[in-house]
Parts: sequence; C-alpha cells; structure tokens
Amino acid sequence: MGEHALLYILFAPFLGALGLIFVSNRQPLLVRGIAASAAFVSLIASIYLFYAYDPVKGGFQFVEKLEWSRQLGISLHLGVDGIGTPLVLASTILLFAGIFVSWHIKDRTKEFYIWLLILAAATIGVFMSLDLFFLYFFYEMSVIPMYLLLGMWGSHTKTYLEMTDTEGMKRRDSVGFIFNFGSNSKEYAAMKLVLFLSAFAVMALMGILLIYKYSGLNTFDILVLREQANLMNIPVLGTTLDKIIWVLVFFGFASIAPLWPMHSWSPVGHAAAPAATSMLHAGVLMKLGHFSIIRVAFEILPETTREMMPIAAVLCMFSIIYGGFVAYYAKDTKYVIGYSSSSHMGYVFLGMAALNYISLSGAVIYMFAHAMATGMLFAMAGWVYDQTHTRDIPSLGGLSNKMPFISACFIVGCMASIGMPGTVNFIAEIMIIVGSWNKYPLQVVVAMLGIVLTLAYLFKMMRGLFYGPMNQKYGHAHDAISTVDRLPLLIMISVSIGFGIFPMHLYDVVRSGVDPLIVKITEVVPVAQSGDGAGPPSAIGLPEIGTTPPIVANKTLPTPMLTSPGGSE
Amino acid sequence: MIFSLNLSFSDLLLLVPEIFLTCWLCVVLIVDFVSPRLPKEQLAYLSVAGLAITLGCLAWFDVSHISGALFGNMFVLDRMAIFFKVFILGATILVILSSVEYVNRFTLFRGEYYVLVVMSALGMMFMASANDLLSVFVSLEFSTLGFYVLVSYLRDDLASNEAGLKFFILGVFAAGLFAYGISLVYGETGQLVFSEMSSAQATPGLIIGFLLIFAALGFKIGAVPFHSWIPDTYHGAPTPVTAFLSIAPKGAALVILFRIFLVALASFKPVWVYLLVAVSIVSMTYGNIVAIAQRNIKRLLAYSGIAQIGTVLIGLAAGTKMGSDAILFYLLAYLFANLGAFAVVIAVSQAIGKDEIEDYRGLNRRSPFLAFAMLLFLLSLAGVPPLAGFIGKLYIFVAAIKEGLYTLITVGLINIVISMYYYLIVVKQMYINEPIDPSPIRISAPLKTVIYVGLAGTLVIGIYPQPFTDWVVEATLMFSNFVTPSATALPSAGHVGS
Repeated sequence: MGEHALLYILFAPFLGALGLIFVSNRQPLLVRGIAASAAFVSLIASIYLFYAYDPVKGGFQFVEKLEWSRQLGISLHLGVDGIGTPLVLASTILLFAGIFVSWHIKDRTKEFYIWLLILAAATIGVFMSLDLFFLYFFYEMSVIPMYLLLGMWGSHTKTYLEMTDTEGMKRRDSVGFIFNFGSNSKEYAAMKLVLFLSAFAVMALMGILLIYKYSGLNTFDILVLREQANLMNIPVLGTTLDKIIWVLVFFGFASIAPLWPMHSWSPVGHAAAPAATSMLHAGVLMKLGHFSIIRVAFEILPETTREMMPIAAVLCMFSIIYGGFVAYYAKDTKYVIGYSSSSHMGYVFLGMAALNYISLSGAVIYMFAHAMATGMLFAMAGWVYDQTHTRDIPSLGGLSNKMPFISACFIVGCMASIGMPGTVNFIAEIMIIVGSWNKYPLQVVVAMLGIVLTLAYLFKMMRGLFYGPMNQKYGHAHDAISTVDRLPLLIMISVSIGFGIFPMHLYDVVRSGVDPLIVKITEVVPVAQSGDGAGPPSAIGLPEIGTTPPIVANKTLPTPMLTSPGGSE
Repeated sequence: MIFSLNLSFSDLLLLVPEIFLTCWLCVVLIVDFVSPRLPKEQLAYLSVAGLAITLGCLAWFDVSHISGALFGNMFVLDRMAIFFKVFILGATILVILSSVEYVNRFTLFRGEYYVLVVMSALGMMFMASANDLLSVFVSLEFSTLGFYVLVSYLRDDLASNEAGLKFFILGVFAAGLFAYGISLVYGETGQLVFSEMSSAQATPGLIIGFLLIFAALGFKIGAVPFHSWIPDTYHGAPTPVTAFLSIAPKGAALVILFRIFLVALASFKPVWVYLLVAVSIVSMTYGNIVAIAQRNIKRLLAYSGIAQIGTVLIGLAAGTKMGSDAILFYLLAYLFANLGAFAVVIAVSQAIGKDEIEDYRGLNRRSPFLAFAMLLFLLSLAGVPPLAGFIGKLYIFVAAIKEGLYTLITVGLINIVISMYYYLIVVKQMYINEPIDPSPIRISAPLKTVIYVGLAGTLVIGIYPQPFTDWVVEATLMFSNFVTPSATALPSAGHVGS
C-alpha cells in the first residue's frame, strides 16, 4: 500500500467487476463475496488514505502520474487534496455499505454488482482526477451504470406527482413537471436521468474544451492549467471568455448536484432506483457536481468565481425551499428523501457561494456528512420497500412493532439529516450558516427555514412509517436481524456520530484543501485561526500574523464552530 | 503526360500486396470450381488466409517504412495508403468471418460470394493508393462493381433486389457525376495528379468540377444530402454485406477526400471549410434525429452511420494534420464498434430470423454475452467512456476546437446526447424488457471470434489509446507539408507544462 493507495482505491472495484464477469450467477455467495472483498480493499485503502493524508503539508498528496496520450496532452494524473480525501472515503463507505444493503437481490446478482462496482469506481475516479479529461471521463462513465441499475433492478414510481396536502389539495413539482412526459415507469426515470446528465455534461465538456484551447498549453492537467492558464479578459460575444467558460462549467456540473431548476431528474431517479443505487446516487454521485465545480471553476478560474458565485447564492435558496416543500407534500418514501437530498444540496451551494474558509469547509464537510445521513435513510427506505413492496407513506404505519431496529436507526438517520448536535451534519451545517452570515444573511435565514422544513417532512415520514395504527396487510414484515443487514446501517451511523464527536482530523484535512483555494479566490490570507474569538479582520495586516503560512489548522481549537465568523472575512 | 513504364523489381515490390491478393482471388475461384463438394466454410477460411498474408505484408511495409510512387504518380504507397489498406483488409477479414454461417441463406453461388468480397476489397486497396483522378475513378468503380452484386445477393428476397437496384442506379449516377467532375477539373487545370493541382486558380469550372467530385464521394460515404440510398440498401442487403458497406467504402472514400481537400485543395481551405461544416452539421443532425424513429436495427445503424460520418467530417473541416489523425483514430474505433454491432445483429437474426428492434427484447436473458457485447458497441458508437468511440469523438473535437469551429462542435456535442437516446432504446429492449421466448441463443464460432475482436478493439483503444494514436500520427505525416503550419508542430509531452 502506502504510496499507491489511490490506485488500490480506484482499481479494486474495477478489478472486482472484471473478476465477476467470469463467475457464474449460480454461485451467488461467491459473487457477493468478490464484490464485498473488492469494496473492502477499497474501503481499507481509503481509511488509510484519510489518516495518512497530512493536513499540515496540504496540497495534493499520493500523486500518481501516468502518461496516457501524448498527442492530446492527457495523463492519468491522480491525487487528492483535503477536499477529495473525505469524499473518496465517503464513496468507499457507501459502496461497502451498499453491497450489504443489496445482499438479497436475487435477479441477475452478478450483473448488479458489476454495475454497482463500476458506478462507485467511476465516482471515486472523479474525486481523485487531476486531469480535466479524466475528470470528465469518470464523470460520464458513472452515468450509464445508473441507467442499467435503474432500469433492471429499479421499481416503477406509481405515485409520482400524486402529492396531496392535509386538505387533500393536489400539489406537484411544477418545475419538474415541465420535463415530465407523464410517465411513471422506471425506464422513463432512467432515460431522463441519462439524457439530463449527458446534456449538461457535454455543456461542461464544451467549457473544458474552451479552457484547453485558450490556455494554449496543449494539456488537460489541472495543476498546470491553474498555474499557467490565462483566460481572463478575452472578449467574446459581448462578454469575456472566462465568464462563458465559467457558466458552461458551473451549470454543466451543477445539474448533477442538482441545483434548482435542474433538479427534476434527480428525485425521479432516486425513487426508481434500487436501495444501494439510491445511496450511491444521493450519497456521492450528487457531490460530483459540487466537487467538479470546485476542481474546475474554483481552481482554474478563481477571479471569475468570485465574480459569478452570487448566481449560486440565489439559486440555492430556491433549491432549499422548493425541495423542502415538495418533500413535505410527497407521499413516496424515496421521493421524500430524494427531494430532501436536493434541498440539502442547496446548503452546499450556499457554503460554496459565500467563499470563505468557514463556509467552504462547512460545505465540504456537509458533502461528507450528507452522504452518510442520506445513505442511511435510503438504505432503510429500501428495507421497508423490500418488506412491504410499497413506498406509499399513507398506506404504511406502525412498523416500529415489527422492525424496532430499523425504526431506531431511522430516528438516528433523521437526526443526522436534520443536523442534530452529535452528528457530523451539525458541524457542517453550523459552519455553513456561521460562515455565510456576513455575506448572505437572507440565504442563511432561508437555510434555517430549510432546517425547520427538514424537521417537518422527516418527522411526518417517520410517523407515517413507524407509528400510528398498523396496516395488517404488512404483518409479515420483519426486522433487520442478521449481521449482514445490520452492518451497513451500523457503519454509517458510527461514522456519522464518530465524526460528530471527534471532527478534528476531518476538519484539519478539509481546511488544508480549502485554505489555498480561498486564498486564490479572495486573496485574503487566513488569520491563523481566530480561536480566541476576537481576531479582528484588520489583524491580517499585522506582520507577525502575515508571516504565518496560510495552511495552518489550529490543533488547540476544541470544535470548529467556535470560530468567529468575523475572523475569516 | 508521359508514363515511364520501365518498372524495376523494387518498384513492383510496392504492388506486391495487390498482386498477391489478385492471384489468391483466382486461386479461391479455381478451388471453388474444381472441387464443388468442398464445404464453403473452407473457402471462407482460404480467403481469410490470403487476406491475412496480405495484411502481414502490409504490416511489414509499415514497420520497415517502405513507400514510393508508381506509374507517374498514379499509384502511391505512403503511410496513409498503408493505414487504409490495413484498415480495409481488417474489415474484410471480419466481414468474411461473420458471413460464414450467413452464406447458407444464399441459394446459389455461395463460393463466389467470398470472391466478390475480396474483389471489392482489392478495389478499395487501389483506392487507398490512388493519387490521380483517373485511377480514383477506375478503382472506385472496380470496388463498387463487387458491391452491386453483393447487395442483391439474396436472390429471392424482394428487399435485397430493391436494395441492389437502388444502389446500382444511384451509384451509376454518382459515377457519372464523378466522371463529369474529372473532365471539368482536367479541362481547367490540365492536371490529374492531386499534388500538382495545388497551385490551380479558383475558376468556376474548377469549383463545379470539385463539387461534382465531392457529391460522388459524398454518395460513397453516405453524407447528407447524398444519403438517400443508405437506409434501404442497408436494410435490404445481406447483413454481412451491410456491415462491409458500412465501413470499408467509407474508409476508402475518405482517403480520397483527404487527398483532395488536404493536398489538391489545401490552399482553398477558407472556401471549402464552409461546405464541410454545412454537410457535417446536416449529416449529424439528420442522421441522429431520423434514427430515433427507426424500428429496424439495420436501419437504425444505417442512420447512425450517417450521423457518424457527420462527426468524421468535423475532423476534415478542421483541415489540419491533427484533424486527419483524429479521423483515422475515429475510423479505427468505428471499425470495431460497427462491425461488432453488425456481428451481433447477424447472430440474433440467425436465431430469430428478423432484425426488428422489438426482437431484441430480453436479449440479456437469452444470451448475456451478446447483450453485453451489443451494449458496449452501441455505447462506443454513442461515445461513452471508457470505450474507443469516446476517445475518437474527443480527439475530433479537440482537433476542431484548435481551429475554432465552435458551431460545429456545439452541434456535435448536442448530437451525442440525441444519439444516446436511440442507442439506449436498444439497450432498454435488451436489458430491461423481458423476453417473450427465453430460449438461449447459439452463436457460431467464427461469429464469436468477430465479436471478441470487436470487444477487444473497443476496450483496448478506449483504455490505452497511445499505440493507436502513435500509429495514426505516423500515417498522416505526409500532410504536414501541405496544411497550415500551426498544425504541423506536434506538441510533445516534454513541452507540456514545463
């Protein structure tokens, strides 16, 4: 291991998928065993990566560079910084958990695991690509497995669009409705997902090609481009080129995030997907959007980012509120969680838009935290669906008698999703809110409202599923008893709570990735942690602080949320 | 024009592949005559052996850098010609292997089928080397002659006859246009050899002449608006012939387009770039949009082929060395994906007897291997990583963006998304829908070989393209003398980022 940890993480799932091709479907245990061991290798390597990553040194570590095409200037350049590392960890955790969540899939088990492993490996590949070509390569590669997973093992979304409020009034996702052609089938959901994502992906590709051309460096290497590419002040079509590229890249990648109003593929896709796919989809696939924006737009076009990021600040409000309200009225369990995910991704955009150390770190930690929380919720929604074959909340109820373990975990999942202190979500949320307050007070108020909404719809769903009168039709439902069924939930819960209580290493790692970015974008050198809570902004000019290297994480700080927002602005 | 025909043996060396293949062709014909009881598979393998030896000979030429020109520059053997000869021979071998079983459908002349296929291949090999308008015309008609017969080989099938007739009438019409174009160009410039036309003046006669030649070649590659024969011919022709038609003549015609646009007309680039941009946009968009409505897999692949040619023309419109590299690379990717897809179509139609997309229902349950192979081939055609087609498309886009063809690239990118839709419709039938008749599908050994070769090519080129890009870069070295200097300076990895 050691130096080549990234290769193990990336290629273990690919090799596992390759190995599975030669195994027969008649040996389901061997199939699952291979898939689980591939995921396990990846998981162990990424845990090693996470703890071996040196936040004091910062920058890109574990770098691998293999020349791939001389003519096009492409190399397989891998490396992780403080932003990529936790996301790689989240992906491997969710992959490992997802393998166990889908342990009972009977139909074409082998193919399921092949595509699941490829999907996870592709997302992991994005998080460690330092080459624009490979970033796009892995990004686009993750789309087709989604199609097959949804289409082959998914389920039809019978109650799509049938949302009613307490008075029985019909509601619907009117933005999503524009793109809905009245179909509730899984095939429709899968096709919509692929076409939506591909359409926006080629937009991002256009941006990437423009960067390639106008940098004139004949390379796709992000590290070279961010140092040498000069894309500023080239007039094109009445505006400047950097703005056009930024818009292409931002909206191209924001569609997968999914930012309102490009969200409509996402909840439909979640609802149709099998549990493990929803977990990966909501847990890590959606983060590809934020991550790619950070990697491409923030790194290569820092000045434009500073200028244009208010767009994200405006749209994220709609994401949060709109997603929250639709989730409140939706009656399908996965649909609720799907909209809640797209609403929560608005927080990440808020954290990114505020562009300071606290908020951007919060956004990155939120991506990690949300992966765990939403992974749990989807795993449990999948369990309930497997037991009852319905996702219709009104027809369910009283399941806590039948499945006490699941309902207990569900409460933890809801708590994590809401951002209860003790879970890592709390740390992330508070950092986003504190960090953005100075710049976007309105959005922060909206985000607070979003939290209240989250509380409302998650509790409503919990009551609908687990409490109240029992529907006798589902008397046969049973709890998750075996280790195989409990393991994934326990892993995600322990990660979520573990980092909630001991967030320091996660925080240090993330800060080491965020700090140089923010220095580049805002040209404000971070105060060496205003841990005393009184660090005035003017302290930046003081010579003794000015000489401090920018990447410093204060080890003495008990929890990051004590950091005063004023110190960072 | 005076020909010096004092050929030496070393000159004849350049012609060895063609001479050898011609002799072999006669041997196959004679064997078929003298031993009529010989199983026809043996003839197929005999033809494949001859083609493979020729291929080996060309590979040796390529490795030892043998090149030269014969007959007063009418016949050149440069790296490009070698590349396309290898390409055509490879395609022919795969087509013959995939027709071994299919040939049993023919009522008569099963042995001659292989002879005709090899004969067409021979004609296309001459096309790859043709360096003046007359030799282009002769070799083009020579190869098309074989195709006219092959397309209508299913004697008792009405669709096949209709396909043959349509192909023949339009083909002859295109030949007429070509001949007229040659006469105009010759009248204006007094030259027939491409490399000597580069100093010509843009007179109306010359422009019309080249437009007519372009129309004839556009007919060959199936670009809009010269595509009208494609769907019906592809649909009606025997499937292996469709596969052959969909790849080899396009390659052969592209060599000639290269020689015309990048050599003969290199100085008129600002003019012809508009022509190519327009044809490319229309081909891509028309091909992809009409493909959505298709119910028959062969028609779907026909329209997808029209769209693919549109993508190829993006590279030609770039008009640089890099553009031609990209086209060559794309053709390699297209060869494996397209022939592989047709091999799957043949396998399915052997089992089911039909080629409707509906018949692919639940193919994953009936033959996971076929379904998986088809999935990868279609995704490669659509341009999804990590498959060869994606790298090919990206290569073309990179070459085009260096020349600033933004509109063309935008249209190309949008078309990727459109094409994704109809390829996924087939994927949906194969993977998501349940089969009506779940009996497994048997695949014959030669067909399986073709599919394996296609899969290997599609994956290897997609995952490790460096040897192939090196090969295509070498193959187009001749263009560095003719095209704009910006493209000749190849970026080497050492300079990047230093």
